[in-house]
Amino acid sequence: MRLHELTLRNFRGVKDRTVALPADGTTVVIGDNEIGKSSLVEAFALVFELPDDSKSTRIRDIQPVGQDVGPEVIAEVSFGETRLRYLKRWLKNRTTELSVTGPNGRKKDWTGREAHNEAERLFAEHVDPVLWQTLMVNQGQSLVQPAPADAEPLIAAVNAESGTPVDGASMPLVLAVEQEYLRYWTKGGKPTGEYARSAQAVAAAQELATRAAKAMEEVAADVRKAERLADELDDLSVRLADHLREVEVLRERKRTTDEILLRRDSARDRAELARAKLDNHTRTRRERERLTAEVERLTEAEAELATLRAETETVARKAADAVREAEAVLADAVELKDQRRESVHEAEQLLSELTDRSELERLLGQQTELADVRARIATATSVLDGIRLDDDTVVALEDARARVVEARAALAAGVPEIDVRRLGAAAVELSGSGIDAGVPALPEQLGEGGSAQLLVSGELTVTVPGQLELTVRAGGEAATLRAALEEAVRRERDLLGRAGVRDLADAREMLRRSDTASAELQEARRTEKSLTAGGDPGERIALLSARLGIVPGAPEEEPEPEEAAPAAKPVEGVPGQMSLFEGLFDDLDEAIDEPEVDPAELLAAVAGDGARVEAAQQALEDARAELALAERLVADASFTATQARKAADADRAEAAQIRARSELAAERLAAATDALEAARAEMSDEAAEATEAEALTEVEALLEELTAVQEQADAVGADEVAGLLDDALAVAARLQTERDTLRDSLRTTEGRLEQSGRDGLATRLDTAELELASVRDVWEALNRRAEAAFRVHETLGRHRAEAQSRYSDPLQSRIEALGRGVYGPSFKVTLDEDLAVSERELDGVRLSVDALSTGAREQLAIITRLAISHLVSTGEGSVPVIFDDALGWSDKGRLRDMGALLGRAGDHGQVIILTCMPERYEYVPRATFIRLEA
Amino acid sequence: MNDSITFLHSSDWQLGMMRRFLGPDGQARFAQARLDAIVRIGEVAKTTGAAFVVVTGDVFEHNQVERQTILRACEALKRIEVPVILLPGNHDALEPGSLWTSAQWTGHAPDHVTVLTGTEPFEVLPGVEIVGAPWRSRRPVSDPAAPGYEELAADGKTRILLAHGQLASLSGGLSDVPTINQAALEAAVAEGKVRYVGLGDRHSMIRVTDRIWYSGTQEVTAPEELEPGNVLAVTLDPANDTIAVEPIRVGAWHMVEHHAELDDEDSLTALEDWFAELPDKERTYVRLAARGSLPLPLLSRLDAMIDAQGEVFASVERWVKFWTVQPAPDAGDLDMLQLSGPARAAMEELRQALAGGDESAGAALTLMHRLARDAG
Repeated sequence: MRLHELTLRNFRGVKDRTVALPADGTTVVIGDNEIGKSSLVEAFALVFELPDDSKSTRIRDIQPVGQDVGPEVIAEVSFGETRLRYLKRWLKNRTTELSVTGPNGRKKDWTGREAHNEAERLFAEHVDPVLWQTLMVNQGQSLVQPAPADAEPLIAAVNAESGTPVDGASMPLVLAVEQEYLRYWTKGGKPTGEYARSAQAVAAAQELATRAAKAMEEVAADVRKAERLADELDDLSVRLADHLREVEVLRERKRTTDEILLRRDSARDRAELARAKLDNHTRTRRERERLTAEVERLTEAEAELATLRAETETVARKAADAVREAEAVLADAVELKDQRRESVHEAEQLLSELTDRSELERLLGQQTELADVRARIATATSVLDGIRLDDDTVVALEDARARVVEARAALAAGVPEIDVRRLGAAAVELSGSGIDAGVPALPEQLGEGGSAQLLVSGELTVTVPGQLELTVRAGGEAATLRAALEEAVRRERDLLGRAGVRDLADAREMLRRSDTASAELQEARRTEKSLTAGGDPGERIALLSARLGIVPGAPEEEPEPEEAAPAAKPVEGVPGQMSLFEGLFDDLDEAIDEPEVDPAELLAAVAGDGARVEAAQQALEDARAELALAERLVADASFTATQARKAADADRAEAAQIRARSELAAERLAAATDALEAARAEMSDEAAEATEAEALTEVEALLEELTAVQEQADAVGADEVAGLLDDALAVAARLQTERDTLRDSLRTTEGRLEQSGRDGLATRLDTAELELASVRDVWEALNRRAEAAFRVHETLGRHRAEAQSRYSDPLQSRIEALGRGVYGPSFKVTLDEDLAVSERELDGVRLSVDALSTGAREQLAIITRLAISHLVSTGEGSVPVIFDDALGWSDKGRLRDMGALLGRAGDHGQVIILTCMPERYEYVPRATFIRLEA
Repeated sequence: MNDSITFLHSSDWQLGMMRRFLGPDGQARFAQARLDAIVRIGEVAKTTGAAFVVVTGDVFEHNQVERQTILRACEALKRIEVPVILLPGNHDALEPGSLWTSAQWTGHAPDHVTVLTGTEPFEVLPGVEIVGAPWRSRRPVSDPAAPGYEELAADGKTRILLAHGQLASLSGGLSDVPTINQAALEAAVAEGKVRYVGLGDRHSMIRVTDRIWYSGTQEVTAPEELEPGNVLAVTLDPANDTIAVEPIRVGAWHMVEHHAELDDEDSLTALEDWFAELPDKERTYVRLAARGSLPLPLLSRLDAMIDAQGEVFASVERWVKFWTVQPAPDAGDLDMLQLSGPARAAMEELRQALAGGDESAGAALTLMHRLARDAG
């Protein structure tokens, strides 16, 4: 294609301009900015692309702003020898006109849409769009490296140059192969689409078939198992049947032996029964014998005990008598001792009196005349002398009194207390010893309705004359208690006697009087002292006289120790009411109340008593010796009584024991006798013995029978048969269990097989295998096709790559040839599969295009385009090379070299350069310069 | 009884059998055909006046066939109006879990059908006894026929022995289970213990002796079977001690094996003619073996032909084992495509690879040929 002339009217800023271009050589179109250089290129593109009725915004964009005019383009081009004049006006007065003048000079015109279509057809027929786009460099695109691989004119040119025929049909085939390949494979070479799905279907079917086959294997295994179980079951059934026959034989044998065993059991039972009866009879007889013996023995024992009882009772009675005797002796001894003590006391008094008398006699010799004072002293002194007690004495008396009370209380607690009451008219008489009735004396009789409450420490006899005599004897400690009481009473009495008082109250009174007299005496003596300033025997005389009870002039009575004993004799065992001191006090009172005595008379009264003192002393010693003797007697008697009481207690206890034993023996004898009599009433002794003998005979007979049957049983082994049968039955049971287990197992397996049959497992497997075969067939067919597609794709691809490589050689050498004019002989390039320059080598240094400087890249892009243009220039498909502004980044040296290149390019085709910088292209030789004016 | 009797002998019904070379549709029709053949046996029984029908084993393909198969078999058996005696074979052995003892069979089997489950004689007619040796396991340990006759005496009774298994002479010694002792069998016949021996297991119809026959399957199951699809009408005349055995066709299907030599257009045409002449195409399975080499256009034609016939026939299967047809592209083929440049070079490379014995190159070449032709 050659571009000859271009006219623009109302096109952007251009009102009306026609640019005529030389058909060959390099043309540089110069114009200032905004003058419409780029509009030339744009107009050429629009006139062939868009019909006159186009609504495209690209048309709106070219309408001058604010002017209602139709943009118009007239292009004159030639395709080989065919020349076209093509006019198109858009928007206003739309017009399309085409005039074509053929090689023969004939002209043909089209208008309107037809004109557009024809022009479009002609353009498509002669202009390869790839090449056209490659060689037209719009403003600002000069750095883009061209990639002309798919440009048909280039391929044709390369083929022509390399001698290889043109691959006219390659592109449709390549596409078809690619399409076929992509049906089965992804770009990465993995199965896809139907092919991949088929493989999945095969895997799924395989899985199903495997599962079905496994199920059938299980069925087969079950069948084998069932067969084996059935065999085992048959075998076991045979064994079981054999065994059961053995069991039957044993059962039959047992039936025979059982009859013998039955008889043996019967004989044994009867023998045992008879033996039991015999044992019974023997027991009866032996019991009878035992009873008889028992009665005899008890009779003897009872007699012995009766004798013994009589003996012991006698002994006990005697012992009681001995106690009574001993106690009587003791009582006498005590009485004697008491008397003796009294005698000593009296002797002591007598001695004292006599001593006093002697002293009085001596004092009387010193007695002077002392007047009233002395009489008072004498009086007081006599009073005081009459009192033989002091505080200590009273304390001792109180102590003695307390002991009496304690001893009495002990007696009351330790002896029987007897209540006797007369109920009727009959007289009740009481007598005894050692009785404390709480009254002065034991009443001898009880009046009607009368009663007595008595503590008996000795013996009390209650008599209802003609009807009853009851004797109560206190035993054990009663005598001791009574003795203790008496001792306490004696001690008190002794103390009272010595103190010269009746009782404790009297003593206390006397003590009070003594205090009074002492005070008086002291006062009198102070008076006497003041009167005499010296001693005065009169006082002593008076005292002694008073003490002695000497009444001057009265005949002095000889003291009688025996008669001096207290007149009142206390009731035995009861503390007596001492009246001894009453008399004394009376005497003393009398003596004190006496008028003053004449000392001479007193002297006369006491003279000559010296000899009597010695006698009195002797009497006292004698009395004391007698007392000691009596006390020894008491002690001996007391010991004897105690021993006798102990012996009596022991004897009484023994007698009671023997009595009890005797009574028990009698009871037992009576019982035994009753039992024996009852037994005999039931069966006589003789009958019992006879019955036993009969039973023994029966037992012996039965044992004989038993022995005979046992021998019979032993002969046939009757006892072993049952064991054998049991063993055989156990084995049979075990075999049956085994058989049942096998049968169950077989049933289970058969049940499973039955289910397998119901499930139609074989059909399932066949179906699954059929399905597998079917999908596998499909897959295999697909696989064959896929493999074929793969092979074709790979083979064709490989050959295309090789061809591509071959195409690149002429282009590469053309680029390098042009480039060496600029860069020198070391310049080399490498092309990629799109035939774009990918690397540049200069002076042995290889650099990727991207790594080059902007200027170098632009220069390389221009060189490549010029090389392409050069290559295609010989064919019909050549197109103009158009640069809309370029070489903006080259230095002066390079501008010179590039200018030379651009100039030479014009030798092989139409080169059009649009620029506002004409100086860049001043080195282009033989260029046509066209200046656009505003 | 001295009257002659006629009965029918069939075997190897193999109900429930599936053939992998038949598609789902073909499979269904094939299954139905096997049942239809049974119905036709019933019709033959009527026309021949047969007193009963014996089936010598493998009535069912397997003991675990689906319920539908059993019930349909029962329905087909009802169409036979005379007594039918079935012998369990190796496929449907009377083993544990056997369908013969299953409720599916016992609950639906017609009353006139008897399954021989023991070796004791079964009197099918007065004076006529059926004896047999049912398979009790798929792995018998001895002659599978012997139990059927070894206890018998030659007492003048008319006995028919049913047995299932291979004869050593026919199995070629390859049987992995014990075979039937043919000599003993013939002796039993000679001694008059049995008058006829009906054998099963082989799907081909085989006359072993006058009185010993394999009936073959009622409907063909494989191309290599000889004279399948028949039922034998056996007529015994005790009075004259004669026997007549007449095969009567009941099968409707064909299974054909064909070997073709394919080298040029004529051979391809001959194959087309062969297909055209086959009868009952919709009930015919063709197993096709072929060898030779064909130019690419003829190869495409062959593919198209087989595809088309596959639609017409029940199934046309390339017998992979015996399929060695190779493309034989020549320079003329390629010139016709007007290929140039890399495409031509690629095709040439494939052609040479094929010539060098690279078989997979053949498919690639054929494909590329087609693509180039269509793209052109």
